[in-house]
Amino acid sequence: MKILFRHLAILLAAAASLPAFAGDTDITIADPYVRMVPPGTPTTGAFMVLKNGSNADRKLVKADSPVARSVELHNHINDNGVMKMRQVAEVDIKAKGETALKPGSYHVMLIDLRQTLKEGDSVPMTLTFDDGSTRKIDVPVKMPQAMMQMDGDHGKMKH
Amino acid sequence: MKTKALLTATIIGLSALLVWLSAFWEPITPKRVTEVPTHNRLAASGQAQGGDFTLQGPNGPVSLKDFRGKVVLLYFGYTFCPDVCPTSLSLMARALSALTPAEVERVQGIFVSVDPERDTVKILKAYAPFFHPRIVGITGTPEQVATVARLYGASYAKQPPNAEGLYTVDHSSVTYVIDTEGKVNARLPHASPVRQIVEAVRPLLAAKTGG
Repeated sequence: MKILFRHLAILLAAAASLPAFAGDTDITIADPYVRMVPPGTPTTGAFMVLKNGSNADRKLVKADSPVARSVELHNHINDNGVMKMRQVAEVDIKAKGETALKPGSYHVMLIDLRQTLKEGDSVPMTLTFDDGSTRKIDVPVKMPQAMMQMDGDHGKMKH
Repeated sequence: MKTKALLTATIIGLSALLVWLSAFWEPITPKRVTEVPTHNRLAASGQAQGGDFTLQGPNGPVSLKDFRGKVVLLYFGYTFCPDVCPTSLSLMARALSALTPAEVERVQGIFVSVDPERDTVKILKAYAPFFHPRIVGITGTPEQVATVARLYGASYAKQPPNAEGLYTVDHSSVTYVIDTEGKVNARLPHASPVRQIVEAVRPLLAAKTGG
């Protein structure tokens, strides 16, 4: 009986540690922000740098946030001056590498916002990777002007 | 036997409809106007040289002519646009902020929505000045907007809607720099830095206007 309990305890402990293990992604997130848009604008984008500390290639496969009715991963294709925004299934993050979600490129598109996002607001977001690991982040909302300063004018990428 | 003939006729009829549908029917009228070849300095001849137009603004009609004596920064986009348009308008706003108060008095930003189905004048009134008070948002009927876009060589194409019926619009992301006499002087490609916008505007402000 005692042995059974011990086994059960081990099993329970293992089960409890599973989600934690799954959540322990090797991907770290740097400089996340959501672009503040004029009141009433139904969509906006979230940007960040995904850093992969592991020795395996990873993919960002999903993003969720309660502030929008739907959240999609998107990319932009600059087709001879015509900006084409397309949904993508995944965003690659190479082993020991990083991928920037940035204006004019990859971004998390927040569609059909449930509320107006104001400067200083924090948007909870859960990122899911192809190995099943997740990361919960709080993404600050930033004014475009301040944000553009941060993005820099080509080359001036220092924050 | 009669039923079989009827069935055959129905099948033939439906097949014909299917063929016609797949060949000719388009769920959304394509709004692609003209393909923009390159966005550099204006070609010496040919179409898309710009020109006067009138569309609806927050307080009634807005014409390019209204801004004679001013330098106009003209951009085509739509408010649903999550990234490209805010980026362009933010850069335009920062360029306006980089000018002296006397200079900015003589510059006008115009945001033309190529998505008049969703972008009402009221929405544009809240949208454009959010970036900078000197940017006005205007639009018109789909035909009027198409005419203006054609005039400038701007292109746009509505994309098929997603499951929720939401659609995006592919569009050229060019800022047209129009001189004090209403002529296109430069076309700045997407994400042109603030400095480049300022440098495109300043010489035009310095130039003597013919009225």
